[in-house]
Parts: sequence; structure tokens; C-alpha cells
Amino acid sequence: MGRIVLENVQKTFGEAEVIPPLDLTIEDGEFAVFVGPSGCGKSTLLRLIAGLEEVTSGAIKIDGADVTQVPPSKRGLAMVFQSYALYPHMTVRKNIGFPLRMAKMEQAEIDAKVEQAASVLNLKDYLDRKPGQLSGGQRQRVAIGRAIVREPEAFLFDEPLSNLDAALRVGMRMEISELHNKLNTTMIYVTHDQVEAMTMANKIVVLQAGVIEQVGSPLELYRTPRNRFVAGFIGSPKMNFIDGDAAEKLGGHSVGIRPEHIDVVEGGLWQGRVGVAEHLGSDTFFHVHDTGLAETITVRAIGDVSLRHGDTIGLSPRMDELHRFDAKGLRI
Amino acid sequence: MAIVAQQTKLSKILWPVLAWAVALIIFFPIAYMVMTSFKTDADAVKPELLFTFTPTLENYANMTENYDYWRFASNSIITSVAATLFTLFVAIPCAYAMAFTPSRGTKDILMWMLSTKMLPAAAVLYPMIYMTKAAGLYDTHFLIIMVLSLINLPIVIWMLFTYFKDIPKDIIEAAKMDGVNTWGEVREVLIPLAWGGIASTALLCFIFCWNEAYWTVRLTTTEAATLSKLIEGNRAPEGLFFGRLSAVSTAAVGPIVVLGWFCQKQLVQGLTFGAVK
Amino acid sequence: MANRTVPRLLQTPAVVLLLFWMLVPLSMTLFFSFIRYVLNNLRRPEWTSPSIENWRGFGNYQYVWNQDSFWLAIQNSLIIVCGILFLTVAFGIAIAILINRNFPGRGIVRVMLISPFFVMPAVNAVLWINMLLDPVLGLQGIAVAGINDIISGLREAPLVGGFFSLWPEFSPISFRGAQASSYAVIMMVTWQWTPFAVLIFMTSLQSEDQQQKEAAVLDGASAWNQFRFLTLPHLGRPIAIVVMIQAIFHLSLYAEIEIVSRGSGNKNLPYYIGELVNNNIGAASATGIFAVILANIVAIFLLRMIGKTLME
Repeated sequence: MGRIVLENVQKTFGEAEVIPPLDLTIEDGEFAVFVGPSGCGKSTLLRLIAGLEEVTSGAIKIDGADVTQVPPSKRGLAMVFQSYALYPHMTVRKNIGFPLRMAKMEQAEIDAKVEQAASVLNLKDYLDRKPGQLSGGQRQRVAIGRAIVREPEAFLFDEPLSNLDAALRVGMRMEISELHNKLNTTMIYVTHDQVEAMTMANKIVVLQAGVIEQVGSPLELYRTPRNRFVAGFIGSPKMNFIDGDAAEKLGGHSVGIRPEHIDVVEGGLWQGRVGVAEHLGSDTFFHVHDTGLAETITVRAIGDVSLRHGDTIGLSPRMDELHRFDAKGLRI
Repeated sequence: MAIVAQQTKLSKILWPVLAWAVALIIFFPIAYMVMTSFKTDADAVKPELLFTFTPTLENYANMTENYDYWRFASNSIITSVAATLFTLFVAIPCAYAMAFTPSRGTKDILMWMLSTKMLPAAAVLYPMIYMTKAAGLYDTHFLIIMVLSLINLPIVIWMLFTYFKDIPKDIIEAAKMDGVNTWGEVREVLIPLAWGGIASTALLCFIFCWNEAYWTVRLTTTEAATLSKLIEGNRAPEGLFFGRLSAVSTAAVGPIVVLGWFCQKQLVQGLTFGAVK
Repeated sequence: MANRTVPRLLQTPAVVLLLFWMLVPLSMTLFFSFIRYVLNNLRRPEWTSPSIENWRGFGNYQYVWNQDSFWLAIQNSLIIVCGILFLTVAFGIAIAILINRNFPGRGIVRVMLISPFFVMPAVNAVLWINMLLDPVLGLQGIAVAGINDIISGLREAPLVGGFFSLWPEFSPISFRGAQASSYAVIMMVTWQWTPFAVLIFMTSLQSEDQQQKEAAVLDGASAWNQFRFLTLPHLGRPIAIVVMIQAIFHLSLYAEIEIVSRGSGNKNLPYYIGELVNNNIGAASATGIFAVILANIVAIFLLRMIGKTLME
């Protein structure tokens, strides 16, 4: 069981209020991702849950029990750090077994659990090496192994993939998702990468300046962003925004439309000139200028469309996919 | 281009020669002392035997008889080892707390500790003599151990602090999450990780204790007198005993100089508080 | 939460010990400096033990202030410290640059250069004043005698004899007396601490940006200008640190002075106090307080200069 509830949690460092009072519930078994630009307070929020930082006011409850004053190790949580935080002087076996040894478990039982975790994570051949002799991905697995053996109520991940190269990152993403399916334990995952958030989460929490902008499933956030910030943050490439008179005509103070919701057609509603064209084969991205709507409109076309730099392009937005926002940036 | 190449060629020869010359000049007094220690007292003052002499071990053999060397040496060893251990015992927890849970006052405390090093020892000489005589501690091992610990404590804390600061905070936090208490953090994580730093700090602290020559001279007479006191007591300019004086001096500094060679790098990091890397 | 108390608790022993070390003896010194307190006085036996009855106010301070020897001691302290600082920094930079290149035997050169730093001060002083600087039996005496021998030999020689007969007989310098004793102390301490400066400057030089230097070469900077505008500024911080640490150590030089001159030469402040302690405790304590004030002036000056750079 791992239902985590934050009630009115607030954090200040001296004068600076990093996290204004907020409420949040993470249900048992959920994969929740905290996402936001760097410095938005997502890591601080995670560390508050872990107990590595003290809350200034408010309460944190795990399965109904108030753990606000409980030290980190007694909260039944396990954490995977960005730097992996492996103990460099211990072998992989000792690293994974360390929390169990600290819990004064029998050595035989520790060995069994370490073996089991190692086979789940494909680390069996490396158990007697030290972290310094492992690759980045392997170190990451050891860090996860150290978390798994404790059978925690919930796993906390603090940007665990940001030190890996792009290819490994995709692989580890899958592994962590699979792990979640297998264990069905609550996981809280912090990242600044919205792709990670979209691909892994059941529930995404978008944060900006310590404030929760929106909570919802990935597709909810994609389809109905609550405000302009969320709309711009979720989705890749970024949503196009149209301001001013052109937006008024479409029925909002500002209007957003995603690149994949604009079709390239001859004699479309909007006309422009192709700036940079990115031909990926499966898709083609056009950065279109001189539309009279915005500096640049990004468009995604399926397949290889043979328009080049300087060509005139006709665009047809799907009108039912427009996102309209009022002067405060809230969704209309 | 040709000029540049020529210059480099010339300096390629000149440079090492110059460097070696400087090194030899600087090392000469030590070499001279070691050399003299193998001469008889009579030979030691004869200019014609400066470099050509028949080496003898007589001075070393008679060290105990002439100077009671081992009594002073054992005092030096006892006080320096004990003071180093005690200093580390007090300094490690302190530096640990400062490095991993710094508060706003930490910087000020560190600066204040350093400033106690600047307190001129001479200013408190008489009170120290007065108090220790009153307490019956004058000329005891315990007193010398305490004083050596206190004068080295600030620098040892500083050095350890700079080493501990380099340990990623994540690892300590991971240990916290893994259910380690404070003592466990120190024993299971901090000491194994900072082992190199702690060892070289200990080595340096030991060297400073060994070489200390103010309190060990002024607060001892016979019982706890160290090698500094022994040498200081034989400062006489008679000169007839250069051989045996060199031998006892070589025996007093030899081990420490060799130890020092091993911790050059740490010396820089430690004494500059990590500010020069 | 126990978050704050545990770290405090861990720091407590060190802080308490240092606080005790700093406050208790110093406040006793402060007290003694305001009373008449003399160890041997047959005429006034009541002065031979510390008591508030013997209150003298600022009398001890006045007494010390009016002693020429006090001012001489201060002057000597400063001359010795400044002399050592200047020489070690200058030699340190020169030698560090000299060995900051790869050449055969660099490792051995380094080991030889660093060695004097680990020699115990007492041995250093005994070695220098007796075996190196003694006017008769030391190397100095031997060298001077040797030169005189050569010259007297040349006097007999044909042709040039007339020229050399005009030369005087050289006489060796005695470093045990008066002003020369300060020079002896400066010499031996410089010998001991130059390696320290070399070590620190060399470490710093190794972190110097080589591309910056190459850029300067392309910009047409001469070797001297490279040193003046790139290397010297780069060494600013290490120089400051070398100065601070040496100031801490050298303001309290004692053993060297004791061994070199046994008080017949020029004294520095710690040695002056050491002499007063043999009898006039009141005056010794007042001088001690002056020494503390002097150290504080230096300390404030130095810590201001360096304190900030140390923390990050």
C-alpha cells in the first residue's frame, strides 16, 4: 500500500517561498510524474516526501499515517538519485544489500533478496564489481536494485535518467515502466523532460514556481491543458501560439494549435513561406514564416513532403483542435 | 621559427641543470647533516674531511648513552600519536556536521576556529604554566597531548571539512534513506569514503605534533620532554660534538621527512583549505 | 525534528575545547596584566602571588610601553615576519616556475625541494647556527678561511701578487649577536618555508589555462608579459594563502630565536614575553595582551583579504 497525501504542504528557505501551500494526492499503485522547468520546485517536493527536507508547515501522510515528523528511513520509501549515489567502496552486492543490513536482516535472507533483485535487473554477472567498474546504465540498475530490495511502499525517482545518453535513456524508460507493471507499487518520478512524463506516467503533475499548474493523465493534459503554460509545456514540438487580432478572430485572447493539428494543403486557410524544413522521413517538420499569425508556425506533415526552403506553403488548421485562452492564460 | 627552435633547445639543457642546481643547494643542509652524522666528532670539524671521510656508526651506537635519545623519542611518539588520535576523534564528527548539515553559523565557526590559531602562544604562556603546575599536570604526557591536540584542532577540522565537502551529498542522503543513523553514516559511509583524506590529515597532524617546539619546550622538564626539547637543550655552540649532534638530529627528523614525502599533495590541499587545487 | 540538534551535538566537543583554550588562559593573562605580580621579590613578598589586592590598573601597560626593548621586539617581530614572507614568496614563485616543466629527474628534484619543510624547527636552528653559520667551525667559517688562504697564496704569486696584496683579510660574520641574529633566523626559516610556497605555487601553476597562454603567444606576448599579465594574476590567491598561513606561524617564532642567540641577539615579541615570564608576570601579561592586539590587527587584515575566497 502506498497512498501519499500532501495537505497544505509549504516550504520556505529563509525568506524565499519555494513551495506555496499545496495539496496533492497520489493513489496507491500510481506512477506519478512531477514535471516542470528547472527550478520549479519539483525536486524539493520529492525531497519533502522523502523526508530529506523538513516541511515548513502542513502534513504528509502515507497510508493515512502522518509521517511529517518521521525520519526518512522510517517512512517506508526508497529513493533513486540522479547521481545514483552508490557507495563507491562497496561491491554491487553490498550496495544492494546495504539497506537490508541496516535493517538487521539475517545474512542468508539478504543474500537471497540480493540475488533475486539482481536477476530481475540483469545484474547477476556484476555482483562482485564495484560501482566504478560499471557503465552508466548498470549503475542506474544497481541504484534501482538497492531500492527494490527494501520492498518500499513507494519508489521516489529524482531525475534518474538525466545522466544517461539518449539511447540508454529510452531503454531505461521502458525498464522502469515494466518494473512498475510488475511490482504495481506507487512510484513518484521527477523529470524536466516532458517526453519521459508522457510515456511513463499514469498521472502527471505539472509544476511551475512551486505551484501545481495541472494534475491529470497524460492524454488529459495533452487534450485539455488547463492553461497556456501546460499547453506549451506538454507536447513536442511545442504548440503554436497566436496572439492579437488573429487570435481574436479565432475566438480567444490567445489561441494555440499543435503542429500535428495543422494539415499542409494547397490553398489552405493560412499561407506562408517555408523557413527551415526538417525531413525525418517518417515526418516532416516545417517552420513557416510570413503567415501573419506569429513569427513562426511549426507544422508536422506525415511522410516526406517535398517542399523546400523558400517555397510557399498552404496550411489548414483543424478547427476542433484549437485551444483558446483568455487574457490570464486560462483555458476557455 | 628557427629562433624559437634554438631557444627551446638551449633551455632544454639549461633548464634541468638549473632546476637540479637549485634542488641540490636547498637539499644541501640536510645532506650535510646526514653526512656529518657518520663522522667522528673530531673529523666533523676538519675542513679537509668535508666530503672525504671514513664513515662510522659510532654516533648512532652511542646515541642512547650521549643523549638518552630513546627516552625523548618515546615521549615524542607517545604524545604525537595520542594527540593525533584524540584530535581526529574530536574533529571528524565536527567536520562531518559542518560539511553535511551546514547552518548559517558554520562559516563563522570555521573562521573563528582558524582565528584561535592566530592567538599568540606567548600571550598565554604564564597562565598555562601556572594552571598546569597548580593542577599537577606540568611536565606530563597528558598535558602535552592536550595542548598538541588543541593547537592542531582548527587546522585538522579545516582539512577534514574540505575533504568531506567533496563527498557527494547524495550518498549521505541515500544512506539516510537506507536507514542508517548518524553514527552509521560516519562509520559505514563517511570514513570508508574519505579514508584517503583522513589518513593524510592524520599524517600531517602527526608531523606538526612531532615538530612542535614552543609548548613542548616550555611545558616540560624531564618526564614528558620530547625530541624538540632534547635538541633545544643541546643547542650549545661548542662545536666539538657536531658528529653526535648530527646523528641525533638525523634520527629526530629522518622518519618525519620521509613521511612528509608521502603526503605532499595532501599538504597542499589541506593547508590551503582546498582553495588551491 | 532532530535535524538540527544532532549536528550541533557533534560540533560541541570541538567548539567547547577551543573556547576553553581561547578564553581561560587569556582571561588569566588579562587579569595578571592589571596587577603587580612578580615571582621573586624579597622586599615586597605580597607581590609574589596573584591577588586582586595588588591592583595596578594600566601600570604594567605603561611600564611596557615605555620600554625601548618592547618596541625593539615589535620591530624585530615585523622585520623577521616580513623578511621571511618576502623571500619565501619570491623564491617560491621562481622555483615553482623553474620546476613546472618536464625534465629528467623531476620527481627526485621535488622530493629534495620539499624536504626542509618537514625538518623540526629545533633541528633546523641547531643545524644552521652551528654547522652552517658558525664563524669558526661552521661551513661559513671554513669557507671564509678557505678564501683567505687562497688570497694569501695569491699574494705570493708573481705578477698578480701586487694586486691581491691590496685585498683585506675576510672575517666571518657572527650570527649569534645583535642584528645578525635576526638575519640568521630569517635565513633558516626562509630555507624551511620556501618549499611550502613552492609546493603551493606549483600546484596552482598546473591548473593554469594552457590555451590562454597559447592565445597570448599568438597575440605576441613576450615571456615576461605572459608572466606579468597571466601567471602572476593567476597566482594571486595562492600568494594570499601562503602569506596568511606563514604569518600565523611566524608571528609566534620562538625556538629558532632561542637557539640562535639565547637572548643576546635581537628578540621578537614571543621571546621578549618568554624572558619577562621568568620574573615580572604583570609586565609579561601586559606584553602578551599587546601581542594579542597585534595578532588581531594582522588577523583581521588577512582574514578579510582571504576569508571569502576560502569558503568557495
